[in-house]
Amino acid sequence: MSRKVVEIAGKRLSLSNLEKDLYPSYGFTKAHVLEYYRRISKFILPHLRDRALTLKRYPEGVEKDFFFEKRCPRHHPSWVKTAEVGRDEGEQMTVCLVNDLETLMWVENLASLELHVPLARAGSTETPDSMVFDLDPGDQANILNCVRVALILRDLLSNLRLTSYVKTSGKKGLHVYVPLNREKTTFEDTKKFSKAVARTVQKNYPELVTAKMSKEFRKAKVFINWSQNDSSKTMICVYSLRAREKPVVSFPLEWKELENLAGQDDPEKLQVMHSEAVSRAGKQGDLFREVLVKKQKLPHL
Amino acid sequence: MAEQAIWSGTISFSLVAIPVRLVKAVEPGRVSFRMLHSKDYSPLQRRMFCPEEDKMVPPDEIIRGYEIAPEKYILITDEELESVSPERSRTIEIVEFIDMKEVDSIYYDHPYYLVPLKGGEKAYRLLVEAMRRTNKAGLAKFVLGEREYLVAVKSTEGALALITLHYSEEILPDKDIAPKEEKVEAEEKSRIKKSIKKMITDFNPEKYADGRRKKIMDLLKKKAKEKVPVEAPEVEEEEGEGPADLIAALQESMRKVKKNR
Amino acid sequence: MAGGTIWRGYIHFGDTNVPVKLHTAIKEERIQFHLLHRRDHVKLRQQMICAYEKQPVPMEEQTKGFEVEDGKYIIVDPEELEQTAPESSRLIEVHEFVKTGQIDPIFLERVYYLEPDIHLKGYNALVEALKEMDVEGICTWIMRKRSYLGALQTSGKILRLNTLRYADEVISVKSLELQKFSLSEKELKIGSELINQLTAPFQPQKFENEHEKKLRNLIEKKARGEKIAVLRPRRLKPTAPDKLLQALEASLKKVA
Repeated sequence: MSRKVVEIAGKRLSLSNLEKDLYPSYGFTKAHVLEYYRRISKFILPHLRDRALTLKRYPEGVEKDFFFEKRCPRHHPSWVKTAEVGRDEGEQMTVCLVNDLETLMWVENLASLELHVPLARAGSTETPDSMVFDLDPGDQANILNCVRVALILRDLLSNLRLTSYVKTSGKKGLHVYVPLNREKTTFEDTKKFSKAVARTVQKNYPELVTAKMSKEFRKAKVFINWSQNDSSKTMICVYSLRAREKPVVSFPLEWKELENLAGQDDPEKLQVMHSEAVSRAGKQGDLFREVLVKKQKLPHL
Repeated sequence: MAEQAIWSGTISFSLVAIPVRLVKAVEPGRVSFRMLHSKDYSPLQRRMFCPEEDKMVPPDEIIRGYEIAPEKYILITDEELESVSPERSRTIEIVEFIDMKEVDSIYYDHPYYLVPLKGGEKAYRLLVEAMRRTNKAGLAKFVLGEREYLVAVKSTEGALALITLHYSEEILPDKDIAPKEEKVEAEEKSRIKKSIKKMITDFNPEKYADGRRKKIMDLLKKKAKEKVPVEAPEVEEEEGEGPADLIAALQESMRKVKKNR
Repeated sequence: MAGGTIWRGYIHFGDTNVPVKLHTAIKEERIQFHLLHRRDHVKLRQQMICAYEKQPVPMEEQTKGFEVEDGKYIIVDPEELEQTAPESSRLIEVHEFVKTGQIDPIFLERVYYLEPDIHLKGYNALVEALKEMDVEGICTWIMRKRSYLGALQTSGKILRLNTLRYADEVISVKSLELQKFSLSEKELKIGSELINQLTAPFQPQKFENEHEKKLRNLIEKKARGEKIAVLRPRRLKPTAPDKLLQALEASLKKVA
């Protein structure tokens, strides 16, 4: 099997199995995956920074088993930054922090196609820096139903003077982020707030939205999953690949784009592929930049 | 970000004081499971529970007690505990240096590393280097939590390792273990020596792995293939729609949203 | 007195078989505290609380799960886990011998005494052989359904087993990311001299758990209703890098 030693910022890294087809029906190899992440690194790294990474590894490609790892693999190179985070049982766990290109390349060499991170940084695991609404369509609904719900959420939040940002999940859903970036906000706050918002939308649009998690209730409706606002939960990182048939990316969109697409009946238009992700990010910059810096306070709590 | 500190304070020898933190040096390699409720597959959390009131007790309502008579307790606060040996709860004072070879491994309890805090890097490096040159280790006592530890601080690969030691009173005598008869079969001995000679190598810990751990991982992989994993139910927070103010604001905002659509 | 017999087996390598009994060598006694409810001093119990029902869960309703994805678990039955347990065996199998002192203390876990079992055959000869060759044996054995890695050693007239940690359980010094710092030869020389001046033979009996005695005193005082003065721990002022040489010289003067 092919092996290649690269040196990034003075750190040596041995890349292996580069020709392994990780997306077999699309012909996208590990070399392609590494190349995608290298080219998108400028945009994704700020969003991964100082967050406990959950690896979702597909060493045999997206059609085979994956390994879900919250702990940083023991054999990590010494230059990989790690942090200790607590779990419910009071036990400590060592996690990886992807703060630089070399670590990103190392993680991708492990075939961790999907990069999942919590809403809080490892140093302050109880302080979310954004609130999220994870819009998840039922079996008979699609991403266009999510678009309608996302637009309602945007307007509802903006009436409360909260600016929100949206990205595709890279699967069937959308993720709406409300930046907070305040030391005082806790997950208890974001949970309470997002739950009240989800209930309000559901009550007013019962034909469109369900508040129930279980699949039977969902079917043609969208579930506003507010419970992601929890220190133990993770979200797919913006610009991360998804492990689907094709290398689709969780990609930020402009609200205007969503409005335009709402009227059309082509859910596929909302899926952003790896190559489009690189070229669009290069042109428009990071549409999610504000999520990391904009300070907003949740009112009426 | 680095390993989380178990303790932070100062290590001193004579008139030199070095700010340091204590981090773990070993991590058990067990496969880590979570305890779940078999009825709903919800994770279980360890909590302190009051049997009399039949409810969970938050940390700020918990106090440490020493039982002096059945169900009669003397309460000890954290501050009181710390003031038992205040000088040792923030300082690891090396009282003397020893040759580590003189320490029987029976005394070894648990290893940690010491890492310098800001400003202490130079003095830390000096202690590491000087102990390496002299082949000596420092002996100290310090208090962590409810216990006082006798510790050896040694230089290892450019770092300070701290090994807690058992007190000699904790070591059981081996007098009654020794064979009553002292006769050594000379022939047997030389036969054993021959066979040892053939088996001498250098110590390489990497050679040995915990076979059980691998078997458990194999079992899990096999199960993951055969069965769909169970899912924990979403935890419903206490009922109620949320703060009244927020609900009112949301309703008002929703009216506007609907009007504009 | 050493602790009671906890296991019996045979030390085995080549055509050597020495029957032994395993005894604990360490006995730790610590002051036991209980956790109480502050307001009524009721002794609290640790319970496993269901995150969903917020209720304590009895033992028979607890099960082990391995998290494969957020909130998704593979359930593992105790019987299945049981099957991964190594087959019980009476063998302490010595795989190789290494020179005494080669094993970094960080690997050493716990010592057990080995007493000759049934007959003395080979025991004394093995003790002598290990001693004369200055080696210890790296061995594995199965005890309490776990596989152990250990070092077979001698001490005086007896054999001991010192359990070893597995290599991947030891955190590397590299991961501490310590900075290099250059020191002057003078600083190093004085530092080394200071250490030599302060060196004494290792006499563990000298050290008692004074803290525990004081703690017992404090409890007695409180029991008699006496007031306890709370003393604050003090942090020593760190030696500034540019004052290091000065502090070393002053230290040396003090001990000389």
